[in-house]
Formats: sequence, C-alpha cells, structure tokens
Amino acid sequence: MNKPDDTFGRQLKATFDESVEKLDAATLSRLNRGRHEALAELQRPGRRWSHWMPATGVAAAVLVAVMLLQSPTAIDDFPEAANVTDMEILLGEDSIEMLEELEFYSWIDSADMDSDVS
Amino acid sequence: MDVSTAVFAVSCSGTPKTGTRALQKERQLNQFLAEVERRALRIAEIGIRDRDEALDLVQDAMIKLVRSYSERSREEWTPLFYRILQNGVRDWHRRQAVRNRVMVWFGKKASDDNDYDAIASAPDPIGRAPEEELSNNEAMERLDGAVHDLPARQREAFMLRMFEGLDVAGTAVAMGCSEGSVKTHYSRAVHALREQLEEHRPEERGS
Repeated sequence: MNKPDDTFGRQLKATFDESVEKLDAATLSRLNRGRHEALAELQRPGRRWSHWMPATGVAAAVLVAVMLLQSPTAIDDFPEAANVTDMEILLGEDSIEMLEELEFYSWIDSADMDSDVS
Repeated sequence: MDVSTAVFAVSCSGTPKTGTRALQKERQLNQFLAEVERRALRIAEIGIRDRDEALDLVQDAMIKLVRSYSERSREEWTPLFYRILQNGVRDWHRRQAVRNRVMVWFGKKASDDNDYDAIASAPDPIGRAPEEELSNNEAMERLDGAVHDLPARQREAFMLRMFEGLDVAGTAVAMGCSEGSVKTHYSRAVHALREQLEEHRPEERGS
C-alpha cells in the first residue's frame, strides 16, 4: 500500500479520510443497499447468457462490416455527424443503456445535420 | 442402510461443502465491498461532482465485480473494482459530453459541474464548533475542486494512489496503463495540487 511520504500528502489524505468518515446516514444507507443488491447477484441464476455477449458483439460488428463492404454506397449514406467519437461512445463496453436511446440520438443527429444545411 | 438411503447420502455429500464455500465467498465479498465503498463513493464523487450519480456508479461497479470477478482472488478485487469504477466515470463523462451537445442544440444551458455545491453535499456535522466545521468543509471543498480540475488521468492516478492507497502496480491495473504512466501522472498531479493548494496549508496561514 502507498503511504503519503510528506506533510502535504498526509494533509490531503487526512482531509479526504475525514470526508469519508463524515458521510451522512442516508448515503451510508444507500451504499449498504447497493452492496446487498450486488451480493444478490451471487444467487441469481441464468447468468450464462452474459458469457455469450462478447461473441454476439463481435458477430454483430462483423455483420455490419460485411454489409458495408457489400454495399459501398451505404458508406456514402452514412451520416457525417455520426463521427468516430460518437460511435466510440455508443459502442463502448458500458453503453447498453445508451443503445436503448439510439433512436433518439440518431434523430438528434439527423436534425442537427438538417439545421447545418439550412 | 438401504440402497436409496445410501444414494441420498452420496448425492448430498457435496452440498454442505459447496454451500459453505459459497457462503464464505459471499462473506468475503461483503467485507471487501464494505471496506471499499465509502472511499470509492468519494473518489467517484470528486470525479463527477454529483453524489447521486456517484452512488449509482459505485453500485454498478459492485454489481459488475460480483457478477464477473467474484471467483478471482481477494487481492485482485481492489484494482479490478477500481478499474470498473474508473471506466464508469469515464463513460459518465462521455455521456455528459453527448448530452450537453444535445442540450446546446435545443438551446438549453449545458449542464455545468460548477453548479455542484460541495457545502450542500457535505456530510452532517458531528458535534464540532461551527468555525471548525466551516474550516473543514472549506478544506474539503478546495481539495475536491482542485482534484476534480486535474486532467482525467492525473486525477485517476492521484486518487487511486493517495486516497485508496493502491501501489503503482495496482494503480496500473486499475487504470489500464503501464506503471511508468502511473508514476508520470501521479507526479504531475502532486506537483499541480501542491502549487494550487499549498498556500492554504494551516501552518503557513499562521506564519
């Protein structure tokens, strides 16, 4: 474990530790609930499907790549606004909830492009 | 003992052992999460300046750790847990960036984390004089603000090393980078914080 090696570091650590010690009861209660909900995962059956998620993701990516290669015009139709950064965000590991809102963000992107054109 | 009794005895012989092992694992995980959750919450909160969102991120990290890494050794849990949490914080910032762009398109004010009121989010006082409480809250607010304002990777390295007490190797696992990068980020973070905060050190205020 790392130990703060100077007075300045020790002061920062002490201030941080104090803020941890002084967390209010409502916050501690929520942490406690969250911990128990997490531990309930140990008893939850049928988690095997999650092992297939990476393979499913790769298969979907390959399918999209093949479709784009098979249909070069589709690349031209790809919205400019959906740039690399956005795709990275949307396809990030923890962005399942974001994918549920994909239609909404897609609409925003197209509306954004329309406003740029006009 | 007849045959059916013998078969039942054999079929049940593994159950108590498995049950005990599962119970032991649950106890270990509970103990680990209870040890780490408060510091993790404050670390996430400093990263995103929103306690409710930080609570959600910590719970999410706990669930993912239990779901994916409960079979790993106890020593591996800390860096893995913080790796999940830091990914959550980074993902949160990315989503905020997209949402802010959307809000700007709608002509609304993009959410600004400067709206975060550290005093309002500060914990309940516990029997201190008001002046002391104010001074502590101010110190905490300054620290939160200064650490939050660091570049993301420096902030991660600093909080994991200084606040969580991870060593260089553990921090590297948690951040998904080399040990050399951890040392560089940490050193720069300490240098920046020293410049920003040292003028508020109590002994220097008195002199």
